[in-house]
Amino acid sequence: MADLLNTSISGLLAFQRALDTTGHNIANAQTVGYSRQLPQFTTRLPQQIGSTWVGSGVDVSSVRRAYDNFLAGQSRASSAAANQAGMFATQAARISNMFGDSEAGITASLQSLVNALQSVADTPASIPARQGLLSQSQAVLEQLQARDASLRSLDAQMNAGVASEADSISALAQGIAQLNGQIAAAQARSGQPPNDLLDQRDRLLDELATHVGVDVVTQGDATVNVFIGSGQPLVLGQRASRLVAIGDGFDPARQRVAVASAMGTMDITASLSGGTLGGMLEFRQQMLDPARNALGRISVALAEVMNEQHQAGMDLRGTLGGEFLAIGTPDVRAHENNGGDARIVASLGTSSALTGSDYVLSHAGGAWTLRRQDTGAVVPMTGSGTVADPWQADGLNIVHDAGVPADGDRVLIRPVSDAVAGLALRINDPAQVAAAAPVIAGAGASNQGTASVGGLRVTDAHDPALRNAVTLTFIGSTQYQRSGDPSVHTLVPGQPIELNGWQLGLQGTPTAGDSFSVSDNANGVGDNRNALAMAEILGRPVLDGGSTSLQSAVGQMVGRIGVQTRQAQVTHEAQQLVARENANALDSVAGVNLDEEAANMMRYQQAYMAMAQLVRVADTLFQSVLDATRR
Amino acid sequence: MRISTLGFTAGSVDAMQRQQASLARLQNQLALSKRVLSPADDPIAMVHILELERTQSASRQFATNATLARNRLSLEEQALVDTTSVLGRARDLVLQAGNVGTLSDADRRSIATELDSILGSIRDIANRQDGAGEYLFAGFATGNPPFIGAPGTTPTYVGDQGERLLQVSASQRIADGHHGFAVFMNIPSGNGVFSTSVSAGNTGSGSIDIGAVVNRASWVRDDYTLNFTAADSWEIISAGPPPQSVSTGVYVAGEPIEFNGVRVTVSGQPQAGDSFQVSRSVGESVFQTLEDIIGELRVPAGSAPANARLASGLQGTLQQIDQASEHLLGIRAQVGVRLASLDAIETTREALAVDVASSLSELRDLDYAQAVAQMNQQLVGLQAAQLSYTRIAQLSLFNYLR
Repeated sequence: MADLLNTSISGLLAFQRALDTTGHNIANAQTVGYSRQLPQFTTRLPQQIGSTWVGSGVDVSSVRRAYDNFLAGQSRASSAAANQAGMFATQAARISNMFGDSEAGITASLQSLVNALQSVADTPASIPARQGLLSQSQAVLEQLQARDASLRSLDAQMNAGVASEADSISALAQGIAQLNGQIAAAQARSGQPPNDLLDQRDRLLDELATHVGVDVVTQGDATVNVFIGSGQPLVLGQRASRLVAIGDGFDPARQRVAVASAMGTMDITASLSGGTLGGMLEFRQQMLDPARNALGRISVALAEVMNEQHQAGMDLRGTLGGEFLAIGTPDVRAHENNGGDARIVASLGTSSALTGSDYVLSHAGGAWTLRRQDTGAVVPMTGSGTVADPWQADGLNIVHDAGVPADGDRVLIRPVSDAVAGLALRINDPAQVAAAAPVIAGAGASNQGTASVGGLRVTDAHDPALRNAVTLTFIGSTQYQRSGDPSVHTLVPGQPIELNGWQLGLQGTPTAGDSFSVSDNANGVGDNRNALAMAEILGRPVLDGGSTSLQSAVGQMVGRIGVQTRQAQVTHEAQQLVARENANALDSVAGVNLDEEAANMMRYQQAYMAMAQLVRVADTLFQSVLDATRR
Repeated sequence: MRISTLGFTAGSVDAMQRQQASLARLQNQLALSKRVLSPADDPIAMVHILELERTQSASRQFATNATLARNRLSLEEQALVDTTSVLGRARDLVLQAGNVGTLSDADRRSIATELDSILGSIRDIANRQDGAGEYLFAGFATGNPPFIGAPGTTPTYVGDQGERLLQVSASQRIADGHHGFAVFMNIPSGNGVFSTSVSAGNTGSGSIDIGAVVNRASWVRDDYTLNFTAADSWEIISAGPPPQSVSTGVYVAGEPIEFNGVRVTVSGQPQAGDSFQVSRSVGESVFQTLEDIIGELRVPAGSAPANARLASGLQGTLQQIDQASEHLLGIRAQVGVRLASLDAIETTREALAVDVASSLSELRDLDYAQAVAQMNQQLVGLQAAQLSYTRIAQLSLFNYLR
C-alpha cells in the first residue's frame, strides 16, 4: 500500500514537472532562440518483493532541450553567407543606382560635351557657343565629381562600418565567453544541461554568425571554442579575444581588422569572410575600389585627350590653347613601417596605358620592384628612376626623388585615386577656347598641277617656329624648295610634309612652279578645325592601349557595376533561401508548437489525474483493510 | 515535419514581405514606365540603353549642324546666283562695247562706268555676311571683310583658304561654304591653257583672237611673245629663261599661226616691232578682268593700234567673263552636291532615329499589359497569403480546451 502511494506520488511529481516544462514551453513560444524542452521520464528502480520485481513509479530524470548542433552549425554557416551577400547586394545597389540614371548619367553628359564642342565648331566665333562649351565641361566635371564624392563617402561609411562591426563582434565574443563560464559551472554543479543558458549562448553564436563567419567547436564541459578567419581563436573557453579595427599600413584611414590577444594584434582582414563584416570587406575590395579607379581612369583620359588637342589649337585672340582641364596627381603613400626615407614621386604618363589598378613599389636587395596590387603581378619598369629618366610602367612615371630606402620598404601608388577630385576647368574665358588651328595652308594662285591641300595637322604645338610663314615651291613634281632655303627637298607621294611642328598632306600631283604656303592663322576666327578635332577625339579609342573609347569605358564601367550588383542580388536571394531552409530545419527540431504543447498538457494533466485517482485507490484499499480489521 | 508556431508566423510574414517587395518594384516600374531602373536590373540592356541614348543625343546635334550647313550653303548659293546674274549684265555691256566703230569714246566711258558699278556690286556680294555677321567668303578669317581696296581699285583678297567643315553624321563632314580665293580670285585666265593680248606699244592695226588649243599634249607651259620682225614675218620667243625662239613664219593676215599645239590668229596689219603676248593661263580674279576692260574702255579709241587693242581686249574679256561664269557654275554645282548630300544624310539619319527609338523603347520601356497582369497576379498572391495566414493562425488546439 505504501508502495502504491509512493508510486502515485512519484507520478504526481513527475507529471507536475512535465506540466511545468510544458508551461515553460508555452510561455516561451514567442521567444526567439528558445529551444523547446522535454521532460525525460525514467522508471524508478523496482523493488524486489520475494522473488519478483515490482515497479515503483516514475521519475523525471532530466529536462532535455530539443536541439541539433549539426543543424545549428549549418544554419549559422548559411546565415553568415546570406548576411555577407546581403551586405554586398545592399551596398552594390547603392552604386548601381548612382550610375543608373541614363538621362543624367556620365554617358549623357559626355555626349553633351561632344555636342557642345560641335556647336562651337558650327559657330566658332560665337561667344555663347563657347560659353556653352565651358558650362557643359563644368557639368561633366561635376557629374564625375559628384559620383566620386558618393563613392568616397561610401568608402568612409565602410571604414566606420568595419570598426563598428569589430566592436560588435568583440562584445558578442565576450558574452559567449561569459556564458561558457556559467554553463560549465552549472553543468558541473548539477550534472544536468542548463538548457536556458545554452539557448542564450546559441543565440549569441547565431548573432555572431550574422556579423562574421565563425567555426564553433563544442568542448567536453559543454563550453564552446569559436574560431574566426583562418583559425584564429576568438573565444577559447572563458577567454575571449578582441577584434579591433586598425589603419592600413599605407593609409591610416582605411580600416582593417585584427585580432588582439595576449600575443599582440594580428591582421586577419584577408582571411575574413561571411557575415556583414565579410560583406563590407568584399564590397570594398571587389566593387568600391574598382569603381573609384574606373572613374579616375576615365577622368584622366578625358583630361589628357582634351588637353592634348586643346594645346594644339588657337583661341579667339590668336594665342595657342593652353590646358583645358586640370587633373589630380597620383597619390603616393609610404608604408608606416618603412625604415628608409626614400621619397617617391609619381606622375601620369600616357592614359592609354593606365590600368585602373593600384601599385606597390617595393625595395629589396638594392632593387625596386613594382607590383600590381590587384593581381600581385610584377610590372616591368623602364628607365632609371631619375627625374631626367623616370621609371615608366603602365602609364605612370615614377621618380625616386630623394632619400635612401631600407630593405623591405614599400610605397603604395594609386595613379587615379585623386584624379577626379582634382578635376577643374583651366580656362574660364570663352574666348580662350582653342577652336581654331594655329596655322593654315593655302595653294598658290596659279597652281597648274592637280595637287591640293589635303590637310594640315599640328603635331607639336610647342615648336617655336610653328606659326612661321613658309612657302613651298615645287621645282618638279616631287621636288620642292622652302622659302628662304635653297636646298631641294623631296616629296614622297602619299607622305605628308613635316616642318615646324606641322604636317601638310597634299592630294594629287604638283607640277613645277606650283606653290603651297603655310602661315599663321591669327585671323582665323571662323576656323573650327580644332573644335572638330576635340569633338572627334572624345569618340576615339584612347584607353587600354588605344582600344577603348571614353564612352565605351563608361559603358564598361556601368555594365560591370550592373553585372556585379545583379550577381550579388541573385547570390543574396539564393543564400537567403538556403539560410531560411536551414533555419527551418533547426526550427522544426527546436521550435515550440502550441498545438503540440496543448496536447502534451492534456496528456500530462490526464496522467496527473490518473495518478491522483491512484492515491484514492490506495486510500480505499487501506480503508478496506482498516474496515476489515475493525471490531 | 514539425512546424513551430513562431516559425510559422515568421515564415508567413517573410513570404508576405517578399511579395510586397516585388509589388513595390512593379509599382515603381509602372510609375516611371521603365523596365530597367538601375544597371543591376538588366546590365546588358542598360549598356545598350546608354549607347542608344547617346546616339540619339549625337543625332540631334548632327541635325543642328546639318541645318546650319544647309543655311550657310543656301546663303552661298544665293550669292553665287547674284554674282552670275551681275556678270551676265557685264557680258552684255562688253558685247555692246564690241561695236567699236559705232560707239563714241563717251559711250565707252559710260559703259566703263556701269562696269565699274558692277565690279562694286560683285565686291559687295563677295563681302557678304551671314546672319551672325561672319563674312561668307573669307575662309577662316570671317571676322574681317575678305575683299579690300579703295573704290576704283582692284580689290585684293585678304581672307584665307580655310574651308570650314561641319560634322553632319558620325562619319561625314560637309564644308559649309567656299573661300573667296576659290570663288572670285582663282579663275583660270584665257581658255585655261593660255591667254592672248596685244602689247601696249604696237603701232600697227594688228589684233589677235583668243586662240584655241589644237593639241594639249604639245603645249609647253610658258609665256610666249609673238614678235613681228618685219611686217610680214613673225617669230615666237618663249620667256624662258633663257628666251628661246620657238617658231618663225611668214605673216598672212587672218591665217592662223600654230606652235606648241596652240593656234592664234592675227588679223589686220601689224608693223615691224609690234608684238603680241601668248601667256600661260594663270589664276585671275573676276575683279581684275573687269578692272582691265574698264581701263581699256576709258582709253580714247580712234587710232588703228588702239582699236586693235580694244578689239582684242574685248574678245579676251568676253572669254574671261564666260570663264568666270562657268567657274561660278562649277562652284554652284559643288554647293548643290553638298545640299543633296545633306538631304541624303538627313534621310538616313531619320531612318536611323526611328530604329534607335524603337530599339530603345524595346529595351527600356515597360510593357504595360505584362506589368499590369503581373501586378494583378502578385496582388492575388499577397491577398491569398494574408487570408491563409489569418485563418491558419486562428487555429489552435487551445480553442477546444474548455
